[in-house]
Amino acid sequence: MNEASINAFFTPRGVAIIGASARQGSPSNQILKYSKEMSLTGNVFPVNPTAKEIEGLKCYGSLLEIPETVDLVVISVGASKALNVAYEIKERREAVGDAGAVAIVSAGFKELGTEEAIALQDEMIATIKSCGARVIGPNCQGVVDIYNGINTTFSVPPVTLKGGLTIISQSGAFATSYLRWAKDHKLVGINKFVTLGNMADVDVTETLAFMADDERTKVIAMYLEGTTDARKLMDVAKSVTSKKPIVAIKAGRTAAGSNVAHSHTASIAGDDNIYDGAFKQVGIIRANTIAEFYHTGRVFDKMPIPKGNRICILTVVGGPSTICVDALTETGEAQLAHFSDELVTSVQAVLSGNANVGNPDGYIDMTASITPVMHKDALALLMADDSIDGIIFITTPPGFIGSEDLAKAIEEGYNAVPEEKRKPLFSVLMAGNAVGDCRVMLEEKGFPTFEYPDEAARVMINMIRYSNYLKHNGVDERM
Amino acid sequence: MKAIFQENIQKGNVILPELDAHKVCEAFGIDCPPTKLVTTREACVEAGNQMGYPVVIKIFSKQIIHKSDAGGVIVGIQNAEALSESYDCMMQTVAERCPDAIIEGVVIQKMMSKGIEVVVGALKNEQFGPVIMFGMGGIYIEVFKDVAFRLAPITVDEAKRMIEETKIYELLKGVRGEKASDIDALAAMLVNVGKLIATHDEIREIDFNPIICYPDGCVAVDARFVLNTQ
Repeated sequence: MNEASINAFFTPRGVAIIGASARQGSPSNQILKYSKEMSLTGNVFPVNPTAKEIEGLKCYGSLLEIPETVDLVVISVGASKALNVAYEIKERREAVGDAGAVAIVSAGFKELGTEEAIALQDEMIATIKSCGARVIGPNCQGVVDIYNGINTTFSVPPVTLKGGLTIISQSGAFATSYLRWAKDHKLVGINKFVTLGNMADVDVTETLAFMADDERTKVIAMYLEGTTDARKLMDVAKSVTSKKPIVAIKAGRTAAGSNVAHSHTASIAGDDNIYDGAFKQVGIIRANTIAEFYHTGRVFDKMPIPKGNRICILTVVGGPSTICVDALTETGEAQLAHFSDELVTSVQAVLSGNANVGNPDGYIDMTASITPVMHKDALALLMADDSIDGIIFITTPPGFIGSEDLAKAIEEGYNAVPEEKRKPLFSVLMAGNAVGDCRVMLEEKGFPTFEYPDEAARVMINMIRYSNYLKHNGVDERM
Repeated sequence: MKAIFQENIQKGNVILPELDAHKVCEAFGIDCPPTKLVTTREACVEAGNQMGYPVVIKIFSKQIIHKSDAGGVIVGIQNAEALSESYDCMMQTVAERCPDAIIEGVVIQKMMSKGIEVVVGALKNEQFGPVIMFGMGGIYIEVFKDVAFRLAPITVDEAKRMIEETKIYELLKGVRGEKASDIDALAAMLVNVGKLIATHDEIREIDFNPIICYPDGCVAVDARFVLNTQ
């Protein structure tokens, strides 16, 4: 039979959950609940020989008994029973022609490292692949497609927001923690989510290649542990980054090279060093911390790519903004913007007499004598100035300005210029949960918010890196 | 070019001998210090006069592995007279210390003047294939780790970005009124080394450490090719 497309994982006409459980609080019950709750078609079929009905859905004794079309099969049974399911998939696919996508959530295979577990995985995968079906996993949480209402995981909440971020992860837990981190303040909207587990068939490279042409994917966040053919991964990544950014975090930074070295080169050529260079070469933006990874992934979804590296700091708080300037200029990749005399005069005219405009150059301290209108007017002027490529706004919202008024002022200031003149604007709200409502308002309007100014600076540098990469490689900057 | 590698692999050489390494470098546009194999005192002095002083002479014999211990290396020779004396002196010492060695000649090489020392390396990595490295050279590279990697082959622009990524780049640009080093020549060398590792299965590792950078070019003083003997 023909090999199924990976697309079948994201656009199945029906989903079978093998091993669906009625036991509340078990992963196999949660998977069914989420699948059912998110499904746009209602074509979710639990399979469990010991039940007639689970979560209000008719339950089947085996995959072969389901009369409707089943494109996606989720295997969530014990490892010892999974092989039998594999043979049923083969039988069904050969008889009916569907069942082309298989997500194996079950664990207990190659990752155990025992001969028996490895043999079991090999036979299971070979059986499924022999009929042209494709496998994600085993030992993973499968896939999510928010737009198409697909969710094979037991931990991605169905309330997850829609957006342009696609997450590809070699760790299920890492990927779901991203979404949980983002949930309260509505920081991230996603499109697709793929956890790869043991990568017995579909691997990180193939998934990445698929996302290059996936229209709803605006940016890819990738958690990488490693792959057998890193060269191929980089070749594919290069073609992806000319279309959309990839932000990666990679485990194993400190692992040393394993070669027996005959040269200086070999003695310091640890795989991580090479990953680092290769990432730069193919335009993958590497995040060094988890927070940086999360934020960088999401800002590319929410904000346009900066045209250059000249950043303006607009603040009401002195000390934290100095820390921001330090972090921003530390690597030499970003610089403070240069203000023209005209800009200084016009910004001074809209702020209070105490305001510091342009000392140092590129820096504005509005002081505490501020109103929402001042925010709006100052932002509008900065947005309109072509010698500024990005803005970091830092505040501890004062009690006398309401969250709604502040959020509205920022929105109006930003939108004062036409779309083609838009540039990234980061808002740093330094009062933790006290400004939670303001953060949510801004995020809902599409403005990324931060807790810490130095983190915002590092994320801005990451955006500049991607902008530079596009320029160096002759790819036009896109809005 | 393939023949040089094949021949050495057949002989079981893990490291390409210096003169062969120079031939490879020449073919790939990588400058090495002027070097010549001579068999008489007269030819040695003539070569010294031609390449200019100071020079170093090294005994050339397959049987002598540790040249310095055998008295087979003399450095810092400043003129023709000293070269003539050094030649005789070395022949005598080596004959005393290694009476059974077959002496094929003497390698004379120009000693390079001071410049900025960088390293250019390359290797085959299991996961990435051919990889190239640039960074601060010398014997402390493992301590400072001021290096940048790329997958080979690379373009001139990529080579320049690699160079700019390192701290040694600040020195190459020239500090405190020093002249800037020839970064174009260095980038061209990186491109060539990238080509070399990417197109030759016979090479496992390349180590040019140091490469000395001058305002008008750069020279690979120690060109080490580790062969793929499996």
